[in-house]
Amino acid sequence: MFRGCGVVSGQNQYLIREAVRPHPGLEVNRPIHMENGVTPGTCSVYQDQTYSNAGQPAVVNNVSSPLKPTPPLPAPPPALKLGQEGFKKVCRTEEDSPCPFPGLASGVLEMRVKEGSKIRNLMGFAMARMQGEKGVSGGDVSGGGLRQVVFTGSGRAVTKTITCAEIMKRKVGSLHQLTKLRYKVVKEVWESSEGGTSEMTVHRTVPSISILLSKDPLDPQEPGYQPPETLSALWEEGVESASQAACKRPLGPLPYSSFPHCKRVCLGEGVSVHPPH
Amino acid sequence: MTEPRSPGMSSIQTGPVHTDSTPPAVEMDPVEYTLRKRLPRKLPKRRNDVYVNMKTDFRAQLARCQKLLEGGGHREICVHGLGLAINRAINIALQLQASSQGALQLAANTSTVELVDDLEPEDPDEAGEPMTRTRNNSAIHIKVFYPDPQGP
Repeated sequence: MFRGCGVVSGQNQYLIREAVRPHPGLEVNRPIHMENGVTPGTCSVYQDQTYSNAGQPAVVNNVSSPLKPTPPLPAPPPALKLGQEGFKKVCRTEEDSPCPFPGLASGVLEMRVKEGSKIRNLMGFAMARMQGEKGVSGGDVSGGGLRQVVFTGSGRAVTKTITCAEIMKRKVGSLHQLTKLRYKVVKEVWESSEGGTSEMTVHRTVPSISILLSKDPLDPQEPGYQPPETLSALWEEGVESASQAACKRPLGPLPYSSFPHCKRVCLGEGVSVHPPH
Repeated sequence: MTEPRSPGMSSIQTGPVHTDSTPPAVEMDPVEYTLRKRLPRKLPKRRNDVYVNMKTDFRAQLARCQKLLEGGGHREICVHGLGLAINRAINIALQLQASSQGALQLAANTSTVELVDDLEPEDPDEAGEPMTRTRNNSAIHIKVFYPDPQGP
């Protein structure tokens, strides 16, 4: 109980300041609250707002309303997010966008990478399908596994999406890649935490990435195409034609190209990623 | 730049490689180490290469790209982003594309970049060996170009 409180208090402080600003009438003295040891539950409030998980909507009300306004805390820093202005996200829906890869067979495995997805889970699943594990349903009984997989992710999950694709390329080998970028429209519904009556709908555009990995050849003319195991070559060709200043390119085998060899040994971020055996 | 997410995983790993910040308790506890991250190696810098980082103001970086494409007379530029900066690189590329009213096209490629960390023993008396450790991070390279066939 108390330990929990102690730990979080710093964070709460932070929360207060943020929360105070837009609702001057509703100032909340969270530290006092905490000293009383009343709610370790506030921890979850903080998280709730920050990460906007839709959980526990009621908590915010409970916590903030019974508290009396107190003399203001130090000057509030500019509020950062909607989430800290007394609103919380109720739901988030991604608008359906057409598949970025027209002409793709319908049965292709699509991995939707989210911010909280664990790479090992994603990869465990995807690798099993690609390598044609028995017992996994799917078109292929031939044992070869699926031919193609698409990784998509948006916003903060973009990095993870790329990492997944990179890991898979490394493990499966000779995969053709096609990468597409675009904006994705996300609709968010925010609800005021005081009354619970007011609602706001926000349309946001977040960058998203889709990476198609295929065992079969893809159209090399398509922008965003990357042939198998050519990490450096792709830059050389695009580059030669492109720039008048082909500058120094003495590092033929160097930076981006040097790693394929050592790859297996040092799976930096790939560390966590073993497919389950 | 780095991936703060993975440190907890160290117990499952395959090799001596870990991600940043939390020294994996497993291998090296007796001596404390300071972790220094070396700068990533860079590709050669042509005039139309833009390496995006998280320190420079976003608008400044966007403006720089715009200038290259419009004023600089480049038919294409390459926007590179590593780790956390991937998002920003994508954002810049998409913004460029949007503001060009469809004149610009994007071609993205991804890669893995090997990064080196130095581990320096904190207490010289305890005679810990300085070590290095490598890890990988993802990167993106986006070619932003005018698609007409008349190449230079």
